[in-house]
Amino acid sequence: MKEKINEEVSVVMYYSARRRQALPRIIQWQHKDYEVGEVGYCHSYMEGQERQHVFELVDKDKTLFFRLRLDGANLHWTLEAIHDGLAD
Amino acid sequence: MMDLRINDEDSLIMHVDLNSCYAIIEQQANPLLRYKPVGVAAFDSPGGFILAASYEAKRQGITLMRIRDAKVLCPDIIILTPDPEKYFDAHRRFRAVLERYTNEVNPKSIDEFMVDFRGSQAVQDGKSLVAIAKQIKQDIKESLGDYVTVNIGIAPNRFLAKLAAGLDKPDGLDVVRPEGVLNIYGQLDLMDLPGINRRYKARLVLAGIMTPLDFFEAPMHKLKNEVFKSVVGYYWYLRLRGYEVDRANFKTRSFGSDYAIGDKTRDRDKVARFIMKMSEKTGRRLRKHDYEAWGVSLWLSFENGTWWGRSKRLQAPLYSTQDIYRACLRLLRSVEYPARITHINLAVFGVQPATPMQLGIFDDTRLDSRPLARAADKINDRYGEFTVVPATMANMQDVLIKRVPFGSVRDV
Repeated sequence: MKEKINEEVSVVMYYSARRRQALPRIIQWQHKDYEVGEVGYCHSYMEGQERQHVFELVDKDKTLFFRLRLDGANLHWTLEAIHDGLAD
Repeated sequence: MMDLRINDEDSLIMHVDLNSCYAIIEQQANPLLRYKPVGVAAFDSPGGFILAASYEAKRQGITLMRIRDAKVLCPDIIILTPDPEKYFDAHRRFRAVLERYTNEVNPKSIDEFMVDFRGSQAVQDGKSLVAIAKQIKQDIKESLGDYVTVNIGIAPNRFLAKLAAGLDKPDGLDVVRPEGVLNIYGQLDLMDLPGINRRYKARLVLAGIMTPLDFFEAPMHKLKNEVFKSVVGYYWYLRLRGYEVDRANFKTRSFGSDYAIGDKTRDRDKVARFIMKMSEKTGRRLRKHDYEAWGVSLWLSFENGTWWGRSKRLQAPLYSTQDIYRACLRLLRSVEYPARITHINLAVFGVQPATPMQLGIFDDTRLDSRPLARAADKINDRYGEFTVVPATMANMQDVLIKRVPFGSVRDV
């Protein structure tokens, strides 16, 4: 089931000049490091004049889904929600 | 009069639609949801309505229905609430892919496009539309993700192209050629035809037209004078034969906001606050397009299944949120609520460009609401929606969440 979190988290991000793509690699949440597996979808939207970047991905073991938001104004990361892929 | 034969022009109209749009985008975004029954619902409470279902859910009988009913059919269904910004992003990517091939790309809704290849350079260079369609499918996977599939239909007119796109879901690619039209009609029910709803079907059946083949074979005068009793019958006669009658791009005539109330109410103050927020949303869209409106309509649905609706043309145009709100409250005065309200629909109509503006008697006075509306819009553009709101809307940030549009995509 989906759970709203809305907590700031630590994230390691990697930019590939060849792919011209920046993606999260490691998420640290509740004293645990999660290595990023498949990134399902990335999009951005404007909140006022500030761009918000959303990354939706699963960890390498494919056990947990993360919805992360990078605030373009201050470059802070927020873990908005998680999902275990199961029904409520 | 001789029967008109089926249009034998080249099939150069392409209809492209995203399969189970919202659900498949959610499955693309979250790999843990793939190949599972997923429903996207306005609210995730038992009374919430499922707006889109994944193919896995559809196979278990899930259509547009309440979550509580869906869970009876499919106890494992995973319910998500909509993420409009993500769907808008997918729509823009979808459109960008199609615009690589031609400029004649016409969005019909957030997940449907009609593409006209008649002037396309690729076609003039001898490339087949089927080859282009296969490339589009691949490009969409690269742009939106591997899990995303589209249905493509190719035909001489929009109607047949849309029909073709629905023949082999999901991930279909079908071409309708003149010699195959009757064979396709022979396999379908009347309501499988795009544009034929329950009401139209009833009319056709009443006139002895039971199948798409009967519909095709019906003479033009029968459709025009007996079935539809208007020029609509003539349009159907042409449409079924592959001639184009749906090319018109309709201009904007109204803006509106629709809200299903989670916490049903008959409290007038609460209803007024909903209407204020809906007025703000509607007003923002109206002003963003630089329009003013000369009419307002309000529609309420009640828990006991009854409804109430009023509309009014006005002497002065509506522009600011307060203008719309006050006009709605005037309409609302005449209604007694027979039960709790479940649904509100607010719309402004008679829209026309707001500039050049006719000089008004209150211009540049404190009674002129336009400068205030523009100033508030500027702040909300800069800092985000609902940063500055009328006092009536205080503490309503989480009420009336952003919805996904089903028809018009002019705000995407």
